[in-house]
Amino acid sequence: MSISGKVKKILVIDDDVDLLEQNKIMMESKGFDVITAESGKEGYEKFLETKPDTVIVDLMMEENDTGFVLCHKIKKTDHGKQIPVFILTSATYDTGFKFDSKTDEEKEWIKCDGILNKPVVLDELINKIENFVEA
Amino acid sequence: MANNNSPTVLIVDDEKGLRTGTQRLLEDEGYKVDAAANGSEGVSKGTAKDYDLAIIDLKMPDMNGLEVLAEIKKANPNTVCFIATAFASYENAIESTRLGAYSYIPKPFTPDELLHNLQKGYNQRVLLLESERLKKESEENLLEIANERSRLSTVIKLIDDGVLVINKLGELVYLNSASLKNLNIDKLEIGTYVLDKLPEEVSGLINKHLNRQDKKQKSYSKQIEIIPKELFIEAMTSPVPNPDGNFAGVVVVIRNITELKKIELIKSQFVSMVAHELKTPIVAVQGFLNIINDKSLDVPPEKQTEYIDRSIVRLKSLIALVNDLLDISRMELKTKQREIEDLDIKEVITSIVQFLEIELKKRELTVKTDYEDGLKILKADRNEITRLFTNILSNAIKYNVDNGSINIKVFQSEHYLITEISDTGIGLKPEEKEKLFHEFYRAKNEKTRGISGTGLGLTIVKQIVDTYHGKIEVESAFGVGTTFKIYLPINKIN
Repeated sequence: MSISGKVKKILVIDDDVDLLEQNKIMMESKGFDVITAESGKEGYEKFLETKPDTVIVDLMMEENDTGFVLCHKIKKTDHGKQIPVFILTSATYDTGFKFDSKTDEEKEWIKCDGILNKPVVLDELINKIENFVEA
Repeated sequence: MANNNSPTVLIVDDEKGLRTGTQRLLEDEGYKVDAAANGSEGVSKGTAKDYDLAIIDLKMPDMNGLEVLAEIKKANPNTVCFIATAFASYENAIESTRLGAYSYIPKPFTPDELLHNLQKGYNQRVLLLESERLKKESEENLLEIANERSRLSTVIKLIDDGVLVINKLGELVYLNSASLKNLNIDKLEIGTYVLDKLPEEVSGLINKHLNRQDKKQKSYSKQIEIIPKELFIEAMTSPVPNPDGNFAGVVVVIRNITELKKIELIKSQFVSMVAHELKTPIVAVQGFLNIINDKSLDVPPEKQTEYIDRSIVRLKSLIALVNDLLDISRMELKTKQREIEDLDIKEVITSIVQFLEIELKKRELTVKTDYEDGLKILKADRNEITRLFTNILSNAIKYNVDNGSINIKVFQSEHYLITEISDTGIGLKPEEKEKLFHEFYRAKNEKTRGISGTGLGLTIVKQIVDTYHGKIEVESAFGVGTTFKIYLPINKIN
């Protein structure tokens, strides 16, 4: 595996159980340890409990912005600051949801380290993780 | 005188022989002739009708011919009059001309002399009438232009679109009040340079014209946001030519498109929501297929079967979603043909409950119904009303607890048929209740996980209720159940 040894354990949070299971299978096939959660609440609990190396959060779960809120919470923790946290969505950039953080002010509000479009392309994910680790 | 409109002639002469002789002569020549035997008869006939021509004897016992002439000319200035007399004198000639006579015919006259004179006089008459017609026409045209101008200026003043006219130097020549309103500017002074006072984008368009003052100019338009007011305008500029075709200035039309923009935004948000909702099941199915297809993953056969089954479930929900979307767009377009018929609500609900029997049995739900006696007939489209209650009842099944119940109660008020449908289900949190009728909204909480739906069922319900000018109310307590109350207007004729 080309990815830095620092990233092994990934927490994936998505209320769509089909997608969750698929991502788990695909990521495990690439050698990651995958922990899953089906809601924002469960996701945060598992984050605190397992201290993953990367978190991937679906954007629209209980609420349309559950992903943002969770990201924000994770990024406020000491551990959260050290690791890449990605928002996962099938919404595109021009949906009117302001997650394509362009200004510093918006970046400040959305604490995620990148946006992943559904379906997750593993090479893209690995690239993003590597970029974060190298930076 | 071969003319369809025979010229009319009045002969005023006290001498009977001459009078009748002249009349016969002229009638033979195609004139229409009236005769008067004395001055006063001549005045009364000549003033009552606008004759083409009149031949007036100068000396009559009751009245002087010149007096008759004066009266006739006063009433009908275009009647061409001849004075006929045996007593030709210079003074009479001058006086008769002064009074408006066309010519002077000395008596006795030969038929040829008379006809020649009358022909000339008639030509004069035609010219007089034509000139009067032209004069009248031109007066009417002037009036029309004046009216047109004031009408046009009233229209420009009153329209909602702002209109500004700028000359070659960038000075304001004309503006209406809507232009100030649409630009959110307090004041613009006519005769002053205004390009520095207009929004930059508008001045930019105007400058495009001013910088290339040639004859072949295009029109430009641009949508502009007026920042502090949340105002959207569309500015359209066109060159204004001089009468000789050279560039004279620019006319700017400022249209307020704020409402249009709002609708556009709602529409594009809806489209992106739809795209999102459509993409999710497709991504899920694609994911399963990829996993089955990926030989390196080596998925066991029973897992493969499970993934295919789960894909089918996702595809079914995708089709349901597409069907709901089609229903919504059909209703919004109002192209749907409604077949309004007399409906018995009891019969409609009974058949829906029968249709949902399998689902009811699966969850072991009991349905209790209570119909008030003498319920009035509903005039509505059967498919729409069936859809309305099917959506609500299937929610009452999906969001119920096993072994729960559904209560249906129908009664009527003066104006409405009221259907109350209560379930013993998981209920709604207050914040969920607010969003219930929003497109694609689905209550998501610890109890709703695993319940499938398109998020459009209640949107459709609301649309149908609105179509019939009814209303819908929701009461709900989380963990206890939800009650929908649907009011449908009763046609008073029943």
